[in-house]
Amino acid sequence: MEYRFLPKKEIACFVTGLLKDFKVYGPVKLVPAGMPSNASIGDTKKGKDGFPMYGEINSPKDLNLLHTPTHLSPKQYLFPPKETLLKFKNGEKPGIESVVEAHDQVLFGVHPCDIHAIRLLDRVFAYGPKDVNYLKRREKTFIIGIDCIPDKHCFCKSVNTMTADYGFDLFLHDIGSGFVIEIGTAKGKDILYKHAKTKKATNKEIKKIVEFKNKKAEMFVTTLNADASTLPLIYSGRYYSPVWEKIGKICYGCGSCNNVCPTCYCFDVRDEIKANLSEGERYRVWDACTLEDFAKVAGGHSFRKTRAERLRHRFNRKFQYQVDKFGGLFCVGCGRCIRTCLVNINIAEVTNELIEESNRKP
Amino acid sequence: MKNRNKPKVAFFSFTCCEGCQLQVLSCEDELPDMLSLVDIVNFREAIDEKRDDYDIAFIEGSMSRTHEIEEVKKIREKAKIVVALGACSATGGLNCLKNRFPMEEVQRVVYGDKAKKYKHFDTIPARPIDAVIPVDYYIHGCPITKSEFLHVLKSLLLGKKPEIPNYPVCVDCKMAGNVCVFEKGMTCVGPVTRAGCSAICVTYGCICWGCRGLVDDPNIAAHEDTLKRYGLTVDGVLRSFDLYGGWGRHKIS
Repeated sequence: MEYRFLPKKEIACFVTGLLKDFKVYGPVKLVPAGMPSNASIGDTKKGKDGFPMYGEINSPKDLNLLHTPTHLSPKQYLFPPKETLLKFKNGEKPGIESVVEAHDQVLFGVHPCDIHAIRLLDRVFAYGPKDVNYLKRREKTFIIGIDCIPDKHCFCKSVNTMTADYGFDLFLHDIGSGFVIEIGTAKGKDILYKHAKTKKATNKEIKKIVEFKNKKAEMFVTTLNADASTLPLIYSGRYYSPVWEKIGKICYGCGSCNNVCPTCYCFDVRDEIKANLSEGERYRVWDACTLEDFAKVAGGHSFRKTRAERLRHRFNRKFQYQVDKFGGLFCVGCGRCIRTCLVNINIAEVTNELIEESNRKP
Repeated sequence: MKNRNKPKVAFFSFTCCEGCQLQVLSCEDELPDMLSLVDIVNFREAIDEKRDDYDIAFIEGSMSRTHEIEEVKKIREKAKIVVALGACSATGGLNCLKNRFPMEEVQRVVYGDKAKKYKHFDTIPARPIDAVIPVDYYIHGCPITKSEFLHVLKSLLLGKKPEIPNYPVCVDCKMAGNVCVFEKGMTCVGPVTRAGCSAICVTYGCICWGCRGLVDDPNIAAHEDTLKRYGLTVDGVLRSFDLYGGWGRHKIS
């Protein structure tokens, strides 16, 4: 593993360089529509980071290398909320033409949990028939990770995603005076050398990475009370737990937890024809297993009628079903679903309740 | 020349602002194609012609006078397919705000002392058209979105079932990348309101007023709790649902 050091003042120059070759997306501090321009920072319950979101970076000053989590995950740049898959034509000369939209892009400032999430999505979309749209976009995506500080809902440490050893091209460790940059891939090295003035990191600087990691490990407010490896078994034994009814009662079934989740990847495919009824396109849009119509099939039958059943399904997809299939917990502990839930359904608390039940009656 | 084989389409207005029909007229890019597929035989806002031999009736507006009920029943008899066009027609819409008051009071506020003098000022509690006739399809919204109108029309022409979203506005907000209204220190009824609007109000800084009506299975109890947790009084909570949800709350017998 090679480490380089980049002084803080050089970061703008690095971003400017990247902007010449790539579209760059990264965390920004957003002042949402309808808010006074000075309202973003400090006034909100989000605290000093205002409304951290991923957005397009057009100049280095747009980039806010946040240490706290963003509302939505960066999955939207690999798996957009809506994308065209093919165009079709009826009539005398019918035909179809597949559409793959991908451009060279940099995801700048991706936290370790999201790096793990992207790694899981890579497995999902390469499983069975290859998902060309995702994979092509992924191939053209350059990932620059950055270390972060957990907020009260983060529990990545409990699901072993607190640090990322691979899954990125470059990884930035903030050590105060600058960044120690971990080089993850050959492409990462080329681009770093091309666009940034770095020097070899000293041993003292590299040591600071470990120091920070140890410090970070002590910062978590939310933790799961069982080892990550035991969670699939705990979930499989708690299928009839009263917890599901309890949270099902307060759940909206609004799909927000799915849509902010960095590892939720379900989608619906639809055809839309133009008004001339002779040409149109097939597209996919995000779908969510907590929505009422998700498990509805032809004839109106639903496999998961109640919100409780749908939530149980979602939680099991994170801690049990997908683990069996893809070999890894599908909850990366980013805490986004906890932050977004208006009725405070908390995946960590629920999991801890299941752990406790399981300890009582194994 | 009218093509005999083209389906005949008619548009009707009852108690409404005719804004949803204006949305139809503003589908300028698609109108030529649309007109090659259907004959429009009745559309007060757009054409002089008035014929009663239609296959599909798009009905805008709620029922707020007795004679409207008679009229809409006649339309139902003639049309093969009836589509409710917009919030007033589909859910009762804003007009149902008046249902909270005695009808005499409503008449007095609007027409003053002339109310009693002229018979044609009669008014009844407002209601969606499906309170008086069966409706086949609904296009929600105040106003409707052009794309959804076109989607429904195209689906009907192709013999497909239109796909009308049955999930809350939260989905559209997340897809649009919006910051949640509740995060911004405001409240809305998006979590129980039918999506399909691309969350346009929230995207432009407003809140969701619920113009598309409730989803099929809304968790109203949960939303009442949420609104209270965010500082609304019981009255405030009820009012949140009132603007477009008056029909559900003050249902008349």
